[in-house]
Amino acid sequence: MAKFNFYAGASASAILLALLVILSELVEPFKALLASVFGHHWIGKAVLVAIAFLLAGFLLKEKTSLGKISFKDLAWKSSLASLAVIFLFYILEFFF
Amino acid sequence: MAYFGHLLLGVGLVVLPIIILVNLKEKPKWLKAVSAITAAISWLLLLPAGLLYLAFYPATKTVIKAGAWPWAHSIIMETKEHWGLLLPVVATVATLLVFDGKEAESKKWWILLLVVSFLIAIFGRIVKMGAGA
Repeated sequence: MAKFNFYAGASASAILLALLVILSELVEPFKALLASVFGHHWIGKAVLVAIAFLLAGFLLKEKTSLGKISFKDLAWKSSLASLAVIFLFYILEFFF
Repeated sequence: MAYFGHLLLGVGLVVLPIIILVNLKEKPKWLKAVSAITAAISWLLLLPAGLLYLAFYPATKTVIKAGAWPWAHSIIMETKEHWGLLLPVVATVATLLVFDGKEAESKKWWILLLVVSFLIAIFGRIVKMGAGA
């Protein structure tokens, strides 16, 4: 992990994406804020996820873990969780 | 143009991970180059995807939501458009692992890229069916 901690970057991106999806659907002013800053909420999410990947990757380049969980594990688990949470959230939002 | 670009680059994100996975153990000389191309495609794909989604999809969305399959937008399209934002991250992690000489460790990331890309392609077909296309 000398130059860029891509596992930390992936962890940050995956967690942030799930949060952005849920927040922007549940808090309309937040979705409007993303749209006003970036032109569209989807572009806002894309830009923020990319920035999170780069920032966490560079800022945490010397770190190998977050508490007791390694970034290697966190990246994998948060990526799978993010994909699952997004899908389940939209199912729940549609039916309830 | 944007549609065909989206389609071609999307097919690339299904086909290239298969080629990489089949050859991962042998570590051929071209593995790093193909991995880097796959990661580049995953980022580049955001351009036609964004163009189609922002410029052309709103009309389709209206048709789908008024039709018999409103869930094709509310669940499938919403999931598709957001899963797509994680593909470049997954492809980049897999590629950087290959560049670090950790081919075996990259395997599950290539599989994840392949599975999610394939599911997104199926989701795209469902959305089109929801629009009556």
